[in-house]
Amino acid sequence: MQPVNLFDLAAQQARWLAVRQSVIAGNVANVNTPGYRGVDVKPFSAVLDDTTVTMQATQPGHFGANKASAEMAAFRQEDDSTELVPSGNSVQLEDELMKAADVRRAFDLNTAIVKAFHQMMMQTTKA
Amino acid sequence: MDPLTAAMKVAASGMSAQSERLRVVSENLANAQSTGRTPGSDPYRRKTITFASELDRASGVSTVDVADIARDPSAFPVEYQPGNPAADANGYVKTPNVNVLVEMADMREANRGYEANLQVIKQARDLISMTIDLMRN
Repeated sequence: MQPVNLFDLAAQQARWLAVRQSVIAGNVANVNTPGYRGVDVKPFSAVLDDTTVTMQATQPGHFGANKASAEMAAFRQEDDSTELVPSGNSVQLEDELMKAADVRRAFDLNTAIVKAFHQMMMQTTKA
Repeated sequence: MDPLTAAMKVAASGMSAQSERLRVVSENLANAQSTGRTPGSDPYRRKTITFASELDRASGVSTVDVADIARDPSAFPVEYQPGNPAADANGYVKTPNVNVLVEMADMREANRGYEANLQVIKQARDLISMTIDLMRN
């Protein structure tokens, strides 16, 4: 269904949120690891900017094939301005939990929109 | 691997690392008064634990694991207890280099880390059930 772009967009955002959640999990798990530097994913807008209309390819490795998932996995080292504890760990537990709450809220919104849109489509088909 | 499943796996590795740390703390606390048995012998030496992050190749995320359980090389404090069986010729007993306050602080930190990991697992589960709810009416 090409004209309806919303489902594709919502699925992409859900994937991005899931990747972000796993990155947050990695930061929280390593909260007491000496020398560990916190990581984060690229903002969703940057991921979205990178995904343009591409040529159809028969193999994922071909020229111009969709590379959205690879872009999403690109982790970004957090800036060095965060204060460091003597063990060289840059993870702030409160910040990570705030980010997790952010992911949850966005995911909730995302699924609610998909659900509403799906109901609208079902209404037209059933009528 | 699905990122949400990977998130749960990572948080589980964090929980097991923190519970291992809690085990070390409890060993230290339990042995806070364990002196030697023979005159002049060494008492219990405090254990320390360090974590290291590991790359999980299946999912590409960094899990955590216990790197090493080592012994604290700091000196033993001595106490004058001539009646103690572990006392040396001058009546001094070497006591374990365990500081109960430090162990308590360590315990609270392990507790906090465990709770944070638990929260991450709960949330990953919630996200999965939100997605499944899309299939319901």
